[in-house]
Amino acid sequence: MAEFKLPANSKVNKHGRVFKAPDGAKHVRRFRIYRYDPDSGENPRIDTYELDMDSCGPMVLDALIKIKNEIDPTLTFRRSCREGICGSCAMNIDGHNGLACICASDDIDGDVRISPLPHRPVVKDLVPDLTDFYAQYASIKPWLQTRTPAPPDRERLQSKADQQKVDRPSACILCACCSTSCPSYWWNSDRYLGPAALLAAYRWIVDSRDEATGERLDELEDPFRLYRCHTIMNCTEACPKDLNPAQAIGEIKQMLVRRRY
Amino acid sequence: MPPRERPLSPHLQIYRWQISNTLSVLHRATGAVLSLGLIVFVAWLIAAAAGPQAYARFAALIDGPLGFLVLAGFGFAFFYHLLNGVRHLAWDVGRGFGKRERRASGWLVVVGACALTALAIAFALHLGGSTHG
Repeated sequence: MAEFKLPANSKVNKHGRVFKAPDGAKHVRRFRIYRYDPDSGENPRIDTYELDMDSCGPMVLDALIKIKNEIDPTLTFRRSCREGICGSCAMNIDGHNGLACICASDDIDGDVRISPLPHRPVVKDLVPDLTDFYAQYASIKPWLQTRTPAPPDRERLQSKADQQKVDRPSACILCACCSTSCPSYWWNSDRYLGPAALLAAYRWIVDSRDEATGERLDELEDPFRLYRCHTIMNCTEACPKDLNPAQAIGEIKQMLVRRRY
Repeated sequence: MPPRERPLSPHLQIYRWQISNTLSVLHRATGAVLSLGLIVFVAWLIAAAAGPQAYARFAALIDGPLGFLVLAGFGFAFFYHLLNGVRHLAWDVGRGFGKRERRASGWLVVVGACALTALAIAFALHLGGSTHG
């Protein structure tokens, strides 16, 4: 049964700190950021940082880095490429999952509210534990499976049209924005694979070179692993790469029906 | 000190209401309302089968602003669930997943459900008017 409320140890307490903007700052914005320190023994809190936007880069990640460098070095978050290809800085920004590095602060009205990816155990501050998420990805066997021997003198070739089928789904960067936006995944992440893993499964199912299509579909034909998707579409709304996991899941459902006839 | 269990990050508390997830919740809610409404519907059938007196008592119960609200709400739940169900059928055959399509179809369902509910109310009032008059 879905648990709509946060457990007692996860409720945000009211002891958030406020870091004022420097005097003379003209263009001030408030960043309200979820903080959790595992060593403190306290519940999470929301800290407020006032930033002078005249001396801050345009993206939310720029603001986070500015805070860490200049105001509060204890702020913890993941980041790497700062150009939307590594997926490290996935977080919930203004109630919407996305990558901090490609999300402009100017596109957000009012205070910028930032919290970790939803409904995950929090390691520290904006760093969620994604162990299960990666395990689910591994469970769909995200590699080419073949029975026939490869041609001795060349690669396994495929037509342009066949390649195009996997172009989009292989652009997934596994940032977990989609899966952690999905209410079905929130309530059933122990049994439901979630949009990211299912999009990856789809990517291998439609690959013309893969020879384990039947087994892959067998694995998914399950009331929880696949069919907890209720086409809520949060995944597709959240995807920072503009992919469509909901559609991929819909197509898998169709394949499962079609192969009976 | 035992290691502290990691807190769960906020989810429903913070996630933004968008047209997509709002209509999905509404689909669930109207489904629940329809199940409950069936009880009223069955009560009506039983009253009708039990004779004029029982039926008059039921009619008196349902006649009034509260009864009107319940029936109108039931009507909206019915039409919304029906139309959004068609939307789900379209998704099941692989149609309407694009951004523009899914938003447009969502608003169409909302407007359509309101219009059909208004029509049904107007029709019911017309019928009621002609019987009494």
